[in-house]
Amino acid sequence: MTTTQINHALPPGFQLDRYRIERQISLGGFSIVYLAYDDNETPVAIKEYLPNTLALRAEGAILPEIRDEHRAAFNHGLKCFFEEGRALARLNHPNVVRVLNFFRANATVYMVMQYEEGHTLREHVMKKTGKVSENFMRIVFSRLLNGLREVHTQRILHLDIKPSNIYLRTDGNPVLLDFGASRQALENDAPSLRPTYTPGFAAPEQYEAQDTLGPWTDIYAIGATMYACLAHSSPPASNQRVENDTLVPAARRWQGKYSEQLLGTIDWCMQIDRQKRPMSVFALQKNLMDPPGGKQAARRVRDKTQS
Amino acid sequence: MKFTIYQESRIGTRALNQDRVAYCYSRDALLLLVADGMGGHAHGEVAAQVAVNAIATFFQQEAKPNLPDPMFFLSAALEAAHQAIHEEAARQGLSDSPRTTCVVCVVQHDVAYWAHVGDSRFYLIRDGRVLSQTRDHSLVQTLVDSGSITAEQARQHPARNRIFSCLGGTQTPQIDFSRKTPLRDGDQLVLCTDGVWGPLETDLCAQIAHTNVMTSVPRMLDEAERRAGKSSDNLSIIAINWEDDEVQALTCNSDMPTMPMDVYTMPPANSTQAVNKLSDDEIEEAIEEIRNSIRLSTFTRNQEDT
Repeated sequence: MTTTQINHALPPGFQLDRYRIERQISLGGFSIVYLAYDDNETPVAIKEYLPNTLALRAEGAILPEIRDEHRAAFNHGLKCFFEEGRALARLNHPNVVRVLNFFRANATVYMVMQYEEGHTLREHVMKKTGKVSENFMRIVFSRLLNGLREVHTQRILHLDIKPSNIYLRTDGNPVLLDFGASRQALENDAPSLRPTYTPGFAAPEQYEAQDTLGPWTDIYAIGATMYACLAHSSPPASNQRVENDTLVPAARRWQGKYSEQLLGTIDWCMQIDRQKRPMSVFALQKNLMDPPGGKQAARRVRDKTQS
Repeated sequence: MKFTIYQESRIGTRALNQDRVAYCYSRDALLLLVADGMGGHAHGEVAAQVAVNAIATFFQQEAKPNLPDPMFFLSAALEAAHQAIHEEAARQGLSDSPRTTCVVCVVQHDVAYWAHVGDSRFYLIRDGRVLSQTRDHSLVQTLVDSGSITAEQARQHPARNRIFSCLGGTQTPQIDFSRKTPLRDGDQLVLCTDGVWGPLETDLCAQIAHTNVMTSVPRMLDEAERRAGKSSDNLSIIAINWEDDEVQALTCNSDMPTMPMDVYTMPPANSTQAVNKLSDDEIEEAIEEIRNSIRLSTFTRNQEDT
C-alpha cells in the first residue's frame, strides 16, 4: 500500500521560538510558509523545512515523524535548505528577500524572512484585464535585475525565477523570493534532492547536465517571465521547444503593441541556445533601461529604477 | 485490505482554506472523510476541523479492529460531529454556529458504506464510469431533480452554492446514506469538495478512471484550478484505487506484500541519497554559520543606513 500524506501545519497561536504563528501562507512539497509575529509584534514569514514525502506531521501533532529509512534523504534535503539559507543570508539587497533568522526546532529547521506586504507578479498580471504597460515592464524588471545582479555577484544562481516568485511590494518595488532551488555556481556539491524547475520558465539546460548552468539560465527565466506578463500565461516548456518550437516570438506576437526593442530583448533572453542569450544581467539591464525614444525616456526609466 | 490513497487540499485563490480532509484505518476498516467549512457563516474552518476530529476520534474508538455496524457508525459519527460543533461554538462564545458540509466513507471487508451532508460528493467509479454518486443537498440539485432546470443551467445558477443541509446549523442535519456496496478490484472511490467537482463536473470521471490516483489526482486538481481561474474555491480530495487482495496475489509475486495496517508508507527515498549523513554537530554548525552571515549582513546594512 502506498500513501501520500500532505503535512499538517502548525496551529494558529503556536509559539515557535520567539515567534507566534498566525497562519499558513503557503504549502509546497518541501516546506510550509507561515505568517508569524515576533515578540515585538513585527510580522515575519517563516519557512519550515518539511518535505512531505519524508516527514509526516499528523493532524494536531507538532513533531513530524521521520522514519529511519527516510532519515538520509531528509538530511540531504536539509543540506539544500541550508544552502538556501546560506545564499540568502549573504545577500543584502532591497530587491531580494531578506533573511532575519535561522533556527532549529521540532526536529526540523526554520528560516525567518522579512514579511512583505503586496502580491506576487503572477497575481498582479492575472488580475489585470488590460495589457501590461511597457513602462511597467521596464521599471519592474530593471529593478528586479538590480537584485539578480547582486545574487549573481555572490556567485549564486536562483534557478526558479517565475511570476509567482516575484513579489511586488505595495510601493511597486519587486522582491525576488524563494531561493529553494538556488545553487551556488561553480561549486559541485551533491545533487539536490530533486532538481526543481518550473516548466515554461526553466531553461533547456536545466533539463540536462547541471554543469551547463550559469547566469544565462536565470536570464532565460527572466525572459520567460516577461513573456508571461504580456501573454497572461506561461510560455511553452523549453524541453518541448527543443524538440518542436511552438513559441511565437514576442516580436511577432505583440508587434506594434510594444517597442521592438523590448520585444527583441524578451526574444533574446529566451533563445534556446544559451550562447545566444545575453551573457550577463548587466547587458540585459542596459537594454531595459535604454528605451527607444531618446534620452528623456531613458532618464524616466532610470530615475524610477533607482528610486 | 489493499488500496492506494491520495489526499490533497489546496487553498485555490481564497484567503483561507476552510476544507479539511482525513483518513484513518484499522486492520479491517478504512475511514475517508472530507468537510468543507461554509464561508457564508463565520468560522467555517472551525466547523470543518471539529467535524473531522470528532469523526476520526470516534472511528478510532469504535474500529477495534472492525466496526460492529458501519451504517450505524456513519449515522452516529455525523450526529456526534454536529453536536461537537455546537459545543465548540458555545465554548468559544460564537454567536453564529459555524457550519460545514461532510462526506464520509467506510470500507470494511470489501464493502463500502457512505453518507453525506451538503454538497461535498462521493463517487464510486467502476469500469470507466460513475457507478454511484451522492446527490447534493442543494437548491439547484432539487431544481434539477424536479426538472425545473437542466444540469447545464445548474452549473450557471446564481444560487448553486446554496445548500439546505449541513453540520453545525440550527436545524437537524439531513443525512443521506448509501447502500452496502461490495467493491471490486480496480474500483475507485473519490470524496471531494465543490471546489474540485464544480469546475470539472462531468469530466471528473474521465480524468480519474483507469489511472493511478497518485498521478491523476494532482493533475486533475491543476486542471480544476486552471478552469476556475481567478475565483478558485478551496479544492480538497481523497481518492483511492481499491485492489482485490486475491487478484493481486495472482498478478504480483511476493515482492509486494500487503503492509501491516497501522503504518504509513511513503514513496521510496531515492537510494542514491542513502550515503548522505548529517550529524547533529554538522547541523548546529550550518545553522551557526548562517546566523553569523545574517548578523554580518545586518551589520553592514545598518552601517549603510547611518
